[in-house]
Amino acid sequence: VLVLTRRANQSIMIGPDVVVTVLEVRGDQVRIGVDAPRSVAVHREEVFRELEQANKAAASPGDDALQALQGLRPPTRDT
Amino acid sequence: VSLTEVPELHVDGGLPGFPGATRFALVRWGGDDSPFSLLRSLDDPDLSFVVVPPAVFFPHYEPEIDDEVAEELDLQSAEEALLLVIVTLGATASEATANLLGPVVVNQRTLAALQTVLSTGGHGTRVPLVA
Repeated sequence: VLVLTRRANQSIMIGPDVVVTVLEVRGDQVRIGVDAPRSVAVHREEVFRELEQANKAAASPGDDALQALQGLRPPTRDT
Repeated sequence: VSLTEVPELHVDGGLPGFPGATRFALVRWGGDDSPFSLLRSLDDPDLSFVVVPPAVFFPHYEPEIDDEVAEELDLQSAEEALLLVIVTLGATASEATANLLGPVVVNQRTLAALQTVLSTGGHGTRVPLVA
């Protein structure tokens, strides 16, 4: 792991067009700004992992599970 | 897009967990009155997801789409956006859950799509379709 020391308002560059800036340090929290091209997805890691897990759980359901879903419709609601 | 056609969606960078799957066919599934569709990967023939417009099961779900998402998908109006949520199936229909935290947003004009993460609303990834 590359370790760099930065102060508030200092940045690091990742490749030619991603700039990560330390905006504010307060106690154990750090505010970070990420300037990246639109094609680069930026996520909090734990949230990205959660999505990965959810997608893997949802991927490619088996025939039995699909069969079970077949008749599912939303409950009728009073209008 | 009417869901009776078979649009080919383009997901730049793929879905989290499936970075290589960038092209999907969106096909109706389950019969004429079914709200469900399948997102079938055109890159990996074994990969598919069940999706549903969230309004069908979650009428009060009103996700706020970030400006960055609108910009990335080149959404010019709210009407261009089609919202889908990915369904995780269980052994029985009542165990089916939807990922409300990470809805899939489709630009119906360009067919560009992405899975976003809602920063507000406190939504989960496994919300039962039926209570």
